[in-house]
This record gives sequence, structure tokens and C-alpha cells, in this order.
Amino acid sequence: MTDDIELALTATPGPAAIATVTGEIDLHTAPGLRARALELIDQGHHHLILDLSGVGFCDSAGLSALIGIWHGAQEAGGTLSLAAVPDRLMRMLTLTGVDSLLPHYPSTAEALNTHQGAPGAA
Amino acid sequence: MPEQASASEDGVPGKRLHLVPDEVVEAGRMEAVRRYDILDTPPDGAFDRVAALAARLFDVPVATVTIVDEDRIWFKAAHGLDGVSEIGRDPGLCGSAVLRDDALVIPDTLLDDVACGNPLVTGALGVRFYAAAPIITADGHKLGTVNVLDTKPRSITSEQTATLTDLAAIVMDEMELRLSALRTVRQEQRVAEAERAAREQAERDKAAIASFASTLQRTLLPPALPTVPGLELACHYHAASVHDVGGDFYDVFPLPSGKWGLFLGDVCGKGAEAATITSLARYTLRASAHHTDDPVAVLEALNSALLADVWAGARYCTAFFATFAPDAAGGFTVELATGGHPPAYHLSPAAPVAGPAHTRVEAVHPKGGMLIGAFPHARFASTTLHLAPGQALLLYTDGLTEAHTSADTMLGDEGLTAFLTARPASCGAAQLIEDTVGLLDALPQGARDDVALLALSVPAPDQAAAATGAGSTAHTTAAPAGEEH
Repeated sequence: MTDDIELALTATPGPAAIATVTGEIDLHTAPGLRARALELIDQGHHHLILDLSGVGFCDSAGLSALIGIWHGAQEAGGTLSLAAVPDRLMRMLTLTGVDSLLPHYPSTAEALNTHQGAPGAA
Repeated sequence: MPEQASASEDGVPGKRLHLVPDEVVEAGRMEAVRRYDILDTPPDGAFDRVAALAARLFDVPVATVTIVDEDRIWFKAAHGLDGVSEIGRDPGLCGSAVLRDDALVIPDTLLDDVACGNPLVTGALGVRFYAAAPIITADGHKLGTVNVLDTKPRSITSEQTATLTDLAAIVMDEMELRLSALRTVRQEQRVAEAERAAREQAERDKAAIASFASTLQRTLLPPALPTVPGLELACHYHAASVHDVGGDFYDVFPLPSGKWGLFLGDVCGKGAEAATITSLARYTLRASAHHTDDPVAVLEALNSALLADVWAGARYCTAFFATFAPDAAGGFTVELATGGHPPAYHLSPAAPVAGPAHTRVEAVHPKGGMLIGAFPHARFASTTLHLAPGQALLLYTDGLTEAHTSADTMLGDEGLTAFLTARPASCGAAQLIEDTVGLLDALPQGARDDVALLALSVPAPDQAAAATGAGSTAHTTAAPAGEEH
């Protein structure tokens, strides 16, 4: 497992911001991911879409980070959506019922569609 | 040579200045004697050789190396004086020589008005010739003498006197070496002693911490399961480490309504923070269950309590909470609510088919139960099941399903289901727990995380008759301290 995790703002179409996560999310990298995502929210990107297609591994520490980011987005009056969720993370989200709070989509394009189509999203 | 000057050679035979020890000088001298820590030490080759050398050089029967103590003259080496280790500090010979800065030479003791009264002179030994050089430290203290004795009068040359003084200096050098070696050894002993003390303290601290952790761990677990009439209960708890207080918890207890309450859960995380949540969860669940029989309401109360805690949002848990009571059909009705916990398994004997007996396994996982303590408006879900005679219910924490069957494969739900299916179902809760622990133990790495298992079974009518009343079984294990990973 690597200690490095990348979170890069890749697009800001409309009110949403797409941030791409690259690396493995574990006990060591999860706090960094959480801090960087909360930073983006603080900078005004309240509707965050996390592209997880570049995430190779994610355990319960990753789930904790996502819950933390969700809380941050909620406090800012925004939302957190997930795109391309890895299988193991998806199973955890379903098992823990967190999938009902975190909208998740096969791709960022579909996540974006929902955002732009949502009433009041603009 | 001025340093050889002594009263008896000053041209006044028999008239020698009688030196009396000065109190301050003597106190400093004794301090020096003690510093070299040589009194009453065993014979030492170097000092013995100096005494033997002196006897040979001067061609005398007796030569000694003495250290003058407060009230005695102690022989560090005594050539020709077998069996004598010390004599009194009488004036005249060594007792006087040690008070001088230079050598003392007495050609004929009978002609010396002080020496003539010395017991060595008047006694059996009958010393007639005496010459001594003081052993002087670098800071001027006189510790003793190197001396030569004969039973007949004789005179020595100034060269011989100088030789005696050199021998005394050699003795002094030897004592300095000895002292510095002593200091090194003592320093090493002090360091070794300090290290040993530190090591022992660390061992004691480690033992105290381990004992504290295991005590805390025990307080977080129910001491024993209650006896529930008509039901067999069994549990197992395995702590991955004796040092890390685990986050798994469970309990079975009676409710005011006459039903029974049950919970099993897993706090995300480990260590002291997780332990505070474990504790909070246990007491909140028990307290809430006394106010309501609705398992969903009990989990909601826990959700609120965790969110009100200082760790709000950062610490959460998954758990099952159930109430159960005997029903008219001879089994138990179980109302089970989940908060994000992995499925429980409802086990019943499969319809008889050819081949070995096996089990029908149904996952019990009410849809929509969320993590507890993570979200303010979390929803929890419940389901009601009937546990008929001959059936069992298995609850566990994810340490079981996340146990590795190989380097990168976990047992998983599939592996657990397959294992349960292959077992004969008719066995009771105790056997189910025993078999499941056996499954874990057979894995190459065993369980890496804490594992809690809780099983309920309703004995089949024939078993119930045989086993006059069901009981409960509990066992708790912890990995030995050395087997952490």
C-alpha cells in the first residue's frame, strides 16, 4: 500500500466540481483524502463529485473519510456524490446503509447529468 | 640526598625527632587510604613481587608493603613474614616512617631511642635493621611503606635508599592503576545496575498495562450469558491482541416486559477511543431497552447517544439489537433490528436428501439499516423471524468474515455460508460456536481482528428431552502477547 493519495480538481461544470481520487484509501491515506476534500468544499465547491475510478483499494477507513466529507458538504449546504465506486467499497456502502445518503453513479458523466437535471441545481 | 635525610643520620645517633600524627593530616591520609579501597584485600601478585624484589635487592630476610590504617599496620605483601597480616601501629618503625616525606633508615634499632621500644624489635622477631620509603599519593598523602628488615644491624648506601623510594613509587603507580580499574568496574556496575533497573521497570509497566487492558476488556464483555429457559445460548470472544482493547461487544439480558434483549456490535476502530464507544454503546442499549421493546427505537437511542458524544461523527458502530420471547409454536419469536451490521444467519435442517446431513442457511439482513452514530437522521430496519425447535441463529462481527483464507482472500459471506451449509443443522448453539471457532483456528493466519460470536438455538423436542434444560456456554480467548502482528 502506498502512503500517497491524489485528489485533483478535474472539472467544475456548473455548480458541481469533479475531483478525481487516485491511489489506495486506507488507514494511512484516508485522513489526507478527507482533509483535501474538505478544503475543496471550503473553497466553495459545495457540490462535490468524487471520481473513484482510479481507486485500487478502499477499506473501512475510506468509508469513514467519505462520511466525514459528507458531513462537511452538508454543513456547507452542499452535496457529495460518488462516481465509479469500487466493488468492495460499494458492498460496504450497501451493508452499512450509507448508500442511501451518498448518491452513486457508474460514471462522472451520469453524476453530472443528475446534478444539472436536478431542480434548483443551477 | 636531602630526601634520604633522617634523624638518625643527622649526626646525632639515637636522637631522632619523634613525629606525632597531626590530626588534620591524619584525617586526610585516612580518607586517601579509604579511597584506594585496598585494606583487607587478598594477596596480589604485583605487590608480592615488589616485596620479594626488595628482599632480594637488599639481601634481607624480610621485606613488606604496608598500608597504615587508623590503628594498625596492615601488610599488603609480606615477604618472609608468613602468617602475619597486621601489627599494631606502634611508633619507631612503620608507624614513624609513614609520617615522613622521605625514607627512614635505622641501621641499628637498639641504638634508636624510639625504635628500640617497638615490639618488632623487642619481640621474637628481634629486628635490628629497618629501612622504609613511604608510599605517597600524587596529592601528598602517605598510605604506607615499602620496607626491608633484618635481624642484624647494617648500613645501606644512598643508591639503595633511592631504590627503596623507587619501589614505593612503583607500588603507588600500581595502586593508581588498581583504583582506576576499580572505578571503571564500578561505573560499569552502576550502568549495568541502572539498565537492569530500567529493564525491570519497563517489564513491570508492560505487565501493568497489559493487565489493565485485559481488565478493561473483561469489563466490556458480559461475564456470562444468562440461562434462558428453552433456549441454548453460546458465545465466543477472541481479542486479536491483549494490548489493544477491542471494539466488539455483546450481551443477553432480561427485559421488564418479560422478553429477552440481545445485542452484538462492532465499534469502528480500536484502542482507548473505541473502548469508550463500546462502553457507551453497551450501557445505552441496556438502558434504552428498559424503556421500549421496539428494537428500532433502541438503535435510534444509541444513534442519538453516539452523536451527542465528544467523538460525534468520528466514531460509530454497527450492531444488531433483538428482543426475543418464547412463542406458542414451541420456539422463539425474534424481532431483530440492524444498524449497518453484516447479516445474521438463520440455520435450519435442510429437507432430507441423500448424502450427509446439511443445513439451510438464510441471511437475516433487514434492508436499510444504517451505521449507528454517523448520521443524525439514520434509519434502522427490523425483521421478525421465528426460531423453531431444531433451528439456530448465528450473529458475528466482521472479524469472522474478514479472516483471511489465503494471503489475499477473505472468508467472506460466501465462505461462511458454504461452511454453515455443510454442517449438520441439528446441533445446538454450543456446537455451532465450537465449529465456527474451529473454522477460524484452521485458517493459516487465524483471525486478525477481534471476533465476537453469539448463537441461539431452540433444542429439537428429542434433544430437549435428552438435555434436561438448555444451558449457556461462553468462552473468551485472547492472542498471547507475542503473537501480535
